[in-house]
Amino acid sequence: MDHQVDVVVVGGGSTGCGVVRDLARRGLDAVLVEKGNLTHGTTGRMHGLLHSGGRYAVSDQKSARECIEENRVLRDIASHCVEETGGMFVKRPEDSEEYFQEKLEGCRACDIPVEVLDGEEARRREPYLARDVEKAIALPDGAVDPFRLCVSNAADAREHGARVETHAPVTDVLVEDGEVVGVEIEHETGPGKRVHREPGTTEEIRARHVVNATGAWAGNVGEMAGVDVEVRPSKGVMTVMNTRQVDTVINRCRPKGDADIVVPHETACILGTTDEEVDDPEDYPEEEWEVDLMIETLSELVPALKDARTLRSFWGVRPLYEPPGTGTEDPTDITRDYFLLDHGDRDDLPGMTTIVGGKLTTYRMMAESISDHVCEVLGHEATCDTAEAPLPGSESDARMEELMDEFGLRSPVARRSGQRLGSRADEVLDEYDPNPIVCECEGVTRAEVQDAIGEAGSDLNAVRLRTRASMGNCQGGFCTHRIASELAREYPEPVVRDAEDELYQERWKGQRHALWGRQLSQAMLNHLLHATTMNRDGDPANLDGEVDFGAFDAGAGSGPASADADEGGDAGTAATDGGRAGDDATTDGGRAGDNATTDGGR
Amino acid sequence: MTRDTPDDTGATDGTGRERGDGSEPRASPGVPEAGRDEQPSIFVPDDGERAGGSEADESEADERPATDGGVESATGGSDSAELDPDAYDPVDVFPGGDLDLREGADSCYKCTSCDTSCPVAEVDDEFPGPKFQGPEQWRLKRKDDHDIDESITSCSNCMRCDDACPSSVPLSQMHNEARGQFVEEQMEKLSVEYVRNRILANYRTSARLASVFPRTASFAMNFGPVRWAMEKTLGIPKERDFPEFATETFREWWKARGGAQVEDPDKRVAYFHGCYSNYNTPEVGKAMVRVYEHFGYEVMVPPQKCSGTPMFANGMLKDARRHAETNVESLIEAIGEGADVIASCTSCSMSLRQEYPELFDIHGIEDVSEHTYEALEYLRIHEDLEGELAGSELADDRSYAYHAPCHARNQGLARQAVETFRDVDGVNMEDVGDSCSGISGTYGWKEEKYEKSMKIGEEMFEHMEDAEGDVGMTECPTCAMQMEHGTGYEIKHPLQLLEETVGA
Ligand SMILES: Cc1cc2nc3c(=O)[nH]c(=O)nc-3n(C[C@H](O)[C@H](O)[C@H](O)COP(=O)(O)OP(=O)(O)OC[C@H]3O[C@@H](n4cnc5c(N)ncnc54)[C@H](O)[C@@H]3O)c2cc1C
Ligand code: SF4
Ligand code: SF4
Repeated sequence: MDHQVDVVVVGGGSTGCGVVRDLARRGLDAVLVEKGNLTHGTTGRMHGLLHSGGRYAVSDQKSARECIEENRVLRDIASHCVEETGGMFVKRPEDSEEYFQEKLEGCRACDIPVEVLDGEEARRREPYLARDVEKAIALPDGAVDPFRLCVSNAADAREHGARVETHAPVTDVLVEDGEVVGVEIEHETGPGKRVHREPGTTEEIRARHVVNATGAWAGNVGEMAGVDVEVRPSKGVMTVMNTRQVDTVINRCRPKGDADIVVPHETACILGTTDEEVDDPEDYPEEEWEVDLMIETLSELVPALKDARTLRSFWGVRPLYEPPGTGTEDPTDITRDYFLLDHGDRDDLPGMTTIVGGKLTTYRMMAESISDHVCEVLGHEATCDTAEAPLPGSESDARMEELMDEFGLRSPVARRSGQRLGSRADEVLDEYDPNPIVCECEGVTRAEVQDAIGEAGSDLNAVRLRTRASMGNCQGGFCTHRIASELAREYPEPVVRDAEDELYQERWKGQRHALWGRQLSQAMLNHLLHATTMNRDGDPANLDGEVDFGAFDAGAGSGPASADADEGGDAGTAATDGGRAGDDATTDGGRAGDNATTDGGR
Repeated sequence: MTRDTPDDTGATDGTGRERGDGSEPRASPGVPEAGRDEQPSIFVPDDGERAGGSEADESEADERPATDGGVESATGGSDSAELDPDAYDPVDVFPGGDLDLREGADSCYKCTSCDTSCPVAEVDDEFPGPKFQGPEQWRLKRKDDHDIDESITSCSNCMRCDDACPSSVPLSQMHNEARGQFVEEQMEKLSVEYVRNRILANYRTSARLASVFPRTASFAMNFGPVRWAMEKTLGIPKERDFPEFATETFREWWKARGGAQVEDPDKRVAYFHGCYSNYNTPEVGKAMVRVYEHFGYEVMVPPQKCSGTPMFANGMLKDARRHAETNVESLIEAIGEGADVIASCTSCSMSLRQEYPELFDIHGIEDVSEHTYEALEYLRIHEDLEGELAGSELADDRSYAYHAPCHARNQGLARQAVETFRDVDGVNMEDVGDSCSGISGTYGWKEEKYEKSMKIGEEMFEHMEDAEGDVGMTECPTCAMQMEHGTGYEIKHPLQLLEETVGA
């Protein structure tokens, strides 16, 4: 391998995407490799809060200052990923007044603009707040879409010459003469876009420097290079409600604790969270009590949550890091700050730097500091412009009127679609016919789905993350097949089927934690529709062998066959055949189900 | 917190404490003050949460019955003080006191039954259907979103979707609210469409004027050149005949006859005649009175305005609210005197029962809702109608082609006329099926909707032609217009037949 790039960035979370964008804009030849989709790790399983810094204003003022600074930057450069919801810290009668004052002082000390509201005013702004909320501090929290954010960073990097490889895990870190010289990756379905059923390949990428941005997995990649990186993963649960009970971020004003925040996100509200150390970021229990705790505790702030419909729950792991020897017991006490580990200085292994910790809100700042470091190591002179240059899509707002009149979109669809696409709206909607709407719950147009397929290949989960298709209340029951059929113009049937199955399973995974009340009805309806009208519980076409369709239907005019039918000839065959297919399918279905469980549970 | 409705200029605190402190004059029983009694629209914390805020809540609960003017006790109570602690009312999240119905989307699991039963979606490709108009559109809404998709104006408010939904999604409430917001905020107030809709919605106003010179009005409104001009300037299709105005309104007749002729404080009903029986078909109102008096009821005819049905369908919620205030005030007074409310028009009863409490916070509105019945329905509940009719016989045989109005269907009354007259000798009542007549109040009165309206009605027209009889029968006056328009049949109200049968 003669070709050598400047930098390989490992990990396609917010940190890695931010780094590769920054490096590419500074003129370096960079490659991003990610083992799953972009945001496959913690970034895709976070709460979606664009911190104002308020949450850290008492405990960690350095982080709080960074947050408010980056909060302002992201509103500007990532406007199509951010919703400026505003936020509140609300105080219930049993919460300490002293802490309320401390919080207020802390925010002021960190230059976070605040406003104190009495209970009545707080309820005027958020009518679903509990009646006994006494007062609140209003501050500029926001909601951020991590998927869109990462995808736009990666897209901008690509525009500046970077290469982005997803579904390409690093399987080894190449070390020669006491120096890291690159990585070995495995393309699960070959390089480029992911397409189901394409054969895998491996590739060595040589680089002048390797950035390990694998978050909670940083230890694994460190191990491949023979260095110790002590990440202490800590899990947190998030529960997704079907509608928005609140339109601003609601925080509980008390020192720390589980279940103390509700974030409005797109069409939903997300409740969070817990903080519990786990051994393995890929293998930890997802427990029911965690979900119950969210709903119960947070309904003290927003009573309507108790009866509201829950769509699903998911868990993420925080990549907490503390320098060796700190010895903090409680994970909630571990700093939320980020660390830059130069393995040259630290472990005498030049050629690699690890970045861990931090928050999504400060991803750009983290990326800037590591890019500064890499440039210094490589002796590359360039200035960082990521705080000023808008991300693709955030150059300007989409114009509603135009989307409605020109592309024939209904107003709520135009509104949501316009927000998702930002300044790319015209371009995307112009390329394909936006109608019919593919995902009705989220108002996702056909054009958006096609656009995402263009970027993501047959990977419908990546399409989902880009568009939100299948993320509404039917959780894919009414749209996975529609989304999948959009693949059919480009890909052969077996690929389409695999892709469809994968998306449907993924949607099922999160719903397992919401199987009561109305989401249970939904899941049953979905199951029945898919089982009875789409044969999902035993589709012969899903078996890899050839299907003898003739055995099911001899067809009109095939003389002897139809005559035989009376004597049980052909009809008999059909029955047997159908029976067999059914049997196989059951096995299949059972296995698939198991997989899903393992997948999600571990 | 009081819901911020346009007429609410009163208490801001909403916990009711302000009202309870005695600073305001106590109301006399059964006579609420408009603007005062809007119910607090949000949650009372449930038991587990009372610890903190309990004092205010308890004192409020104590005070409430008094401030409620005793209406509660008169009626068993359904109003504010008895709010289920776990119940949440939609509140003013959206600007201008509009309701937040996003929560209603929680019940929808997208089965699409509503879409497949929407008569408008069937004939109008541009109309996205109730699922989109209702749960989907609401779920996609955020606090700072003000616009509503224009297609909402194509919904005829037939409410068949309500009936179709297996999951109790408040579809028509969502449509009504969205339409109200659209008309209030997005519709050009000087546009021909707005003016036309406002005229159609305020049928009572025109009817009242017309009935001063009924003959001239009936003639003039159907006079060719006038109709041509109406279509051109107002978009009212010239194909339609305006209903004739009676020379003597129902209320004039009532007054002339000296009011009720039966008195019985234990058996009272308050007749909500609506506009149509008053101005156009007083014979229906008269039949109601005679039939009820035959069964020994004391009939009251309280002051009343439009039930609001045509206003909801046109998004004129402010107009509807004004009328509702009068209606609720006088009906609640009658209820206080022991009466139940009876309507002869199924859309009027629908409105008082369902739309009123869904859309407005007027003191006593829940009580009106609970005490309202359709005329035939009430008799079937309280009298042995079947027994009475079993032996009866009409002098001459006759056959009717009966159409159940959509709004009757929603109240579970689709079969009542057929069942009631089943055992009467000489009456053959044929149900012409469950399709929509297509007129849906004012829908079919709009030029741009006329053809669709007739297309929806086609099935009914055909079945009517196939039916044996050539007299139509229905409870709804606008369905009657459509039936007459499509077939040329004379159309009767079941009360008229009942009057004849019982010989009232
Ligand atoms: C429950 C929870 C809630 C949170 N809420 C918020 C919030 O509201 N606001 C906020 O600002 N922050 C929040 N955070 C923190 C924030 O999500 C994380 O700090 C941030 O997403 C970390 O991003 P990252 O890129 O460093 O890590 P990750 O997103 O985990 O990225 C690492 C990537 O590396 C990939 N990878 C791993 N091994 C390999 C390999 N061998 N080869 C190739 N790729 C590999 C993984 O697949 C993964 O995609 C939250 C965190 C948690 C756990
Ligand atoms: S009210 Fe009638 S016209 Fe309107 S959406 Fe429902 S079914 Fe369709
Ligand atoms: S019928 Fe009810 S549950 Fe079904 S799609 Fe319509 S609103 Fe949703």
